[in-house]
Amino acid sequence: MSAGATIALLGQPNSGKSTLFNALTGLRQHVGNWPGKTVEKKEGSFSYGGKEYRVADLPGSYSLSANSDEEVITRDFIASGEADVVCILADSSQLQRSLFMLADYAGINVPCFLLLNMADVAEDQGKTIDAKTIEKKLGIPVVPFSATDIRSYDSFYKTLEKALSKDSRINVEELAAQYGSIKGYQDICDLIPENVLEGYSPMWLAVKVLEKDEVVIAKLKNALDAETFGRIEEAARGTNGAVATGGCKFRWIDELLGETVSAGNNTVRLSRLDRIYTNKFWGKAAVILTVLLGLIASFIPALPLMGVGEAVLAVKAPVMNALYSIGCPEFLILIVGDVIIQSFSYIFKMLGFVFGVTLVFGLLEEVGVMARISYVFDNTMGKLGLQGKSVMPFLVSFGCTMGGAAGARVIDNWGQKVLTIALAWAVPCGAAWATIPMLASIFFGPGAVGVIVAILFTMLVHMWITAKVFGGQLVKKEDRYGMIMELPPYHKPKWGALFRYVLGRTKETFIRVTKVILLVCGIFWLLSYSPSGNGGILYSIGVAIEPVTRIFGLPWQLFLSYVASAVGKEGAVGVISALYSGGSYGNAFTQAMSGGADTSNLSSLLLANVTKPEALAFIFAMTFNMPCVVALAATFQETHSAKWTARIVLYYTVVSLILAFIAYHIGMLIW
Amino acid sequence: MSLSEVKENGEALVSEVRGDTRFMSRITSIGLTPGCRVRVVKNDKNRPLLVFSRDTMIALNRKECMGITVEEVTA
Repeated sequence: MSAGATIALLGQPNSGKSTLFNALTGLRQHVGNWPGKTVEKKEGSFSYGGKEYRVADLPGSYSLSANSDEEVITRDFIASGEADVVCILADSSQLQRSLFMLADYAGINVPCFLLLNMADVAEDQGKTIDAKTIEKKLGIPVVPFSATDIRSYDSFYKTLEKALSKDSRINVEELAAQYGSIKGYQDICDLIPENVLEGYSPMWLAVKVLEKDEVVIAKLKNALDAETFGRIEEAARGTNGAVATGGCKFRWIDELLGETVSAGNNTVRLSRLDRIYTNKFWGKAAVILTVLLGLIASFIPALPLMGVGEAVLAVKAPVMNALYSIGCPEFLILIVGDVIIQSFSYIFKMLGFVFGVTLVFGLLEEVGVMARISYVFDNTMGKLGLQGKSVMPFLVSFGCTMGGAAGARVIDNWGQKVLTIALAWAVPCGAAWATIPMLASIFFGPGAVGVIVAILFTMLVHMWITAKVFGGQLVKKEDRYGMIMELPPYHKPKWGALFRYVLGRTKETFIRVTKVILLVCGIFWLLSYSPSGNGGILYSIGVAIEPVTRIFGLPWQLFLSYVASAVGKEGAVGVISALYSGGSYGNAFTQAMSGGADTSNLSSLLLANVTKPEALAFIFAMTFNMPCVVALAATFQETHSAKWTARIVLYYTVVSLILAFIAYHIGMLIW
Repeated sequence: MSLSEVKENGEALVSEVRGDTRFMSRITSIGLTPGCRVRVVKNDKNRPLLVFSRDTMIALNRKECMGITVEEVTA
């Protein structure tokens, strides 16, 4: 297969860019970060007509200004010539507004074509668009498109080939004439030589100078002699910036569209669903209910994969027995059973979750509900430096932190996504909620309710403090602006593209997390392994540093089960019970992790050996410890950053011990 | 008057947009430019303002709206 062109997809949020990208590339996509930047890079490929095309899904933004890293990366990528052709997407149902991206692009010297997406929605609204006339006026191919219509893809491929073969550029004459009406524009334009910055025309650069685009101005200062630059600065003084140039862009769009769009009936009434979501009193409840229903719904597609996870665990014992019977060395058998099979069981259960949550969240995003969630929680989450959407991962984390981390991918800003995941770790997960009331009621009877309230209160304070600690680095001041966002009309989901996307992400997650989970489980196993069945490195360390851990209210038995709770909270109680009943640490650890530990006479064992302050310390330490290995892997997968994942782990370890210390000493005062 | 003072279901013409470079660029790119007609769809305290303009429903943070001056249109 011969190498074809590289296509860049450019469009405003909600222009259907991701849907098109997923539909084109399916499973052949890769998500990473732009080199040295905290911006996600999505690439993929598809083949057509015997050629292999590369697709770059550029970050969604409303314009090509220097407002954010996303926008600067987008325009630099295009201008660098890495893409052979740019596909600019516009929403046919909101054509006038969404053509702004095209107007902002005009003047970049890379071939392009215009895709009028959501042609079906526009049609439903009674709008007709004369694409042929727009094409003639613009000078680039224009293709009406509807992601649900198979024939659309055919015309997409044909238009793509046409744009490539004709090397089509936007006819900017009329636009330049519009800009000419701005005082200073012509002077600046004349002062900028052709090709001074590769890929950008003098018109485009002059407009950015008028818009006070710092990045462009700095580059021009570098490229031009001081005198010319000084005259440009002089000419740009006192102009009305983006408002003036924006006015020109919209006037150009108006003239371009002219008679080509016949407006249908334009009702501005809110739909019934939106009246509920935007209601002052019911809005938040409606959003929380939506997310919870979504979470429950996500278990349905998750179940088969979780079943696979259980099945993998079920073969563990037979496989280990079989290995024993053929005389395999014990060390090897344990690695196969307790590390490899155990890890794959975790991995498949996790994939079930990732699959379910990605599907349901992707669906909510696609149909437009996610934008409503952002709207409703904008004020609350804004206080933490986050987007309104961040509320979803938090709610999901009450069930499972890994689901929360996987769900955080709907947040389009990388820094805010990492911060959301970092805060979601503070939310006690389902396994913690199973353990907390059990331990608390053994020690405190009806006082367990008080412990639960204290845990919830600590969670809120923890999240608030964590937002302060990490927020400064992760969420830049310019991203903390209030919401300026479109509430898109509700769309029917594109099931095909959605499933391809979900399968693609699940596959990628599988490949990446397998390594992390095998590695971490392997390390924990090695540390707890001892040939004699008693002892092991962790055990020896735990016993040796007991004088230190006692400061935090944790005798060595509790400290080791606190360590185990970092692998999985389910196992923590099993480890305690094994250690206090004199069992070996290595066995207790692996058994507890696979859910097979004996917890029968737990309450008498605990009451005989553990004091109330120690119990309280342990509950806090366990709850706010790293959620589990799988959550760690999911965090690494979503953030693409080993550095930030490690920072979050370290931070949670330290904070959970501090909380244990505080709980222990408060407990000592009470009892 | 400021956009946030327009009552629910009121219509207005944007007369001026003020703010820093970033705000101007963002508000322009979503289509709110001087001369454009907006309809306030929802105006509740502590919630972003909902306006309809250029066929688009737009949610705007209340503080950001302070920079948008409008003239009310009486229907």
